[in-house]
Amino acid sequence: MKRMFKTLAPLTLSVAIMAACGGEESGGETSGSDASGNSNNNADSGEQGDVVETGEAEQGVEATGDESVTLDMWIHQTGEDETDFYIKRIDEFNEVNDDIYVNAEIIIDDGASSYSDSVNAALVAGNLPDILALDGPYVASFAEADIITSVDEYITDEDREDFVDSIIQQGTYNGELFSLGAMEASVPLYYNKDIFEEEGIAAPASIEEAWTWDEFLEVAQQLTTEDRYGLNLFMNYGVGEWLTFMGAPFVWSNNGELISEDGTTVDGYLNSPETVESLEFVKTLFEEEVVSLTPGEMQFEEGNAAMALGGPWIAVSAEDADFEWGMMPYPYKEVPKSPSGSMAYGITTLSEHPEEAFEVMAWMTNEESTIGLSEVTGMPPARHSAFEAMDHYDELPWSVMRDQVTETAHARPQTPAYPVLTDAFAQAFHAAALGEDVEEILNQQVDRVERELRRFQD
Amino acid sequence: MVTRKRYSLKTREGKEALTGYFFLLPALLLLGVFLLYPMGAAFYYSFTDFYILRPGEKNFIGLENFQMIIGDAEFRQALRNTLYFTFLVVPIQIAVALGLALLVNKKLKLKVFFRTAYFSPVVMSLVVVSILWTFMYNPNEGLINEMLGLLGIPPQPFLTSPDQAMNSIIVMSVWQGAGFQMMIFLAGLQNIPDHLYEAADIDGANTFHKFLHVTLPGLKNISLFIFITITIAAFKLLVQPMIMTQGGPLGSTKSLVYHIYEVGFNYRDVGYASAMAVVFTVMVLTITIIQRILVKEERG
Repeated sequence: MKRMFKTLAPLTLSVAIMAACGGEESGGETSGSDASGNSNNNADSGEQGDVVETGEAEQGVEATGDESVTLDMWIHQTGEDETDFYIKRIDEFNEVNDDIYVNAEIIIDDGASSYSDSVNAALVAGNLPDILALDGPYVASFAEADIITSVDEYITDEDREDFVDSIIQQGTYNGELFSLGAMEASVPLYYNKDIFEEEGIAAPASIEEAWTWDEFLEVAQQLTTEDRYGLNLFMNYGVGEWLTFMGAPFVWSNNGELISEDGTTVDGYLNSPETVESLEFVKTLFEEEVVSLTPGEMQFEEGNAAMALGGPWIAVSAEDADFEWGMMPYPYKEVPKSPSGSMAYGITTLSEHPEEAFEVMAWMTNEESTIGLSEVTGMPPARHSAFEAMDHYDELPWSVMRDQVTETAHARPQTPAYPVLTDAFAQAFHAAALGEDVEEILNQQVDRVERELRRFQD
Repeated sequence: MVTRKRYSLKTREGKEALTGYFFLLPALLLLGVFLLYPMGAAFYYSFTDFYILRPGEKNFIGLENFQMIIGDAEFRQALRNTLYFTFLVVPIQIAVALGLALLVNKKLKLKVFFRTAYFSPVVMSLVVVSILWTFMYNPNEGLINEMLGLLGIPPQPFLTSPDQAMNSIIVMSVWQGAGFQMMIFLAGLQNIPDHLYEAADIDGANTFHKFLHVTLPGLKNISLFIFITITIAAFKLLVQPMIMTQGGPLGSTKSLVYHIYEVGFNYRDVGYASAMAVVFTVMVLTITIIQRILVKEERG
């Protein structure tokens, strides 16, 4: 009975809500809200939480004998190519390793919350797998709650150094490394080469040449005409993770932070003069009407915005655009900073075989996996060696993305209060875009996050 | 004194009763497992600090969650938004549904076509409808602003304006939901005997008088049913703001159920979310009971 109680627990809340109102479909968010996890495929999936067994993985080597270990693994399903690649790599792992068999389950990720709902449910029921994919900023929550285990004792120094800093930063909580990911993400400033040529504007080609905010604003104003915007910030993705992912570098590059270094408070950080100033700049972009609050899905690809601060997936969707485009580094105030973070793997504390689980994690994030995944998704790889092996990262426009990932990438804050913190920042960013009083909104949001942080202080 | 009939398994009636209970069993089981048990558990959680990441430590904290609700500005805003939505949607949707029912009750050509057309939004998924209307409301390229433009009205921000977002959701919700109540009203209209209208004709009543004194009284029971179901449905507003505005701009479309969902699943605070769900349930229940009492008294 106790087991049943536990199993049913996660259902309770939703049903309690339904009971109050007599049944309700739950809906996913519109596409694009998952800034970091999704690559080129932002398609909405109406189904939620469906579990798809990987047919191929089943055909792998059967577990035999006493030495053989079977590991359960959960992966989020995003684009078809990306998921197929994961399945292929797991099959290869099973072929190479006689003593470890990985049983992978692909769980639908609609870009909203269905994957994390599944993880939450399994967590409460106490049946998480040995290894699971999780979004970078959520590593801290899981580490704090002792749900995932430190991999410090398994990883070699040499291997650790091959990962780009931001991936290690993303996976580290309280000085210990908990997660590794195969792909990074970044946000370059895309630009329409045809328009730039017409207007006679030279685009910076390296971090050293990156525009400051003032130059950026000036160009954006110059490029804005009656029938096109100077800039697209993809506000159509909605008030969600995207705004933190894309928007936080404005704060960091102004020497601001979202949270104190020890992670205990946001007061004096989220509402610091630096943060206020950077959101004031965002506000100016909207007041000057160089950017739209409601851009169409393909505004940049259709040539209706001259520049765009967009994810690597924009390079994929702009492939068919009928103009030449390029990438520029993210504009800055004091120090160049750029967005970072993506899905990573964690090993659960429930796992009886953490060592074997790490072998799987290492395999899924090794050079070959990293390169393969980058080729399939267009997302930048998480390893220096992969960048070196992939020729196109040596040339424009991709060299801009490489430089950002290896030099200016900044991980989002590692705090167990992240879900509330990111919503607080996204709300403030959106309020700035609406022309509200930035300082007042930030102070309100500070109260919210402080309340959440108190939960972790005992 | 009322004497109760006593059933025994030996009698035919007793056996029938037992069979009846067996038929009930599957429904009762499902209801118990998926409704009553979770409701009970949510009630229990509302007195604990249940946090998803620490499922092992559910501490009893008394009324702390409920005290927190009192000082929670987000809860108050969500409550205000939900009440605003309900108070506007209920009368508008009833009026539109009744209007449509009267229209399609006429002996028109293409009657079936119109009925189907008005009813079709009901069978569409609310998620799909919400996404479609998001496109239609787009200030730059949306259908609605294009049409307003033809009338010389400047483009409206709709979903990105704190003043217009909720009203935009109300319009879309009425469009989506009214077809269902239209069908119920239609059934009610067809149940009003023709001889009442004939009698009214003989008395010299005009169309308006007939509507007021024959049609409306004839729809009284059905109206009560529709009134209560729309009210309850309006309180459960979730999908539209979740998809169209994510509760924004500036929290102007954050509904109570959406707020509960966010706190429970995104912020993992099941204890607090359960407490809000309990308060919400009590609220909806109270309003429903008051509605019943008021409407009954009117019928006197």
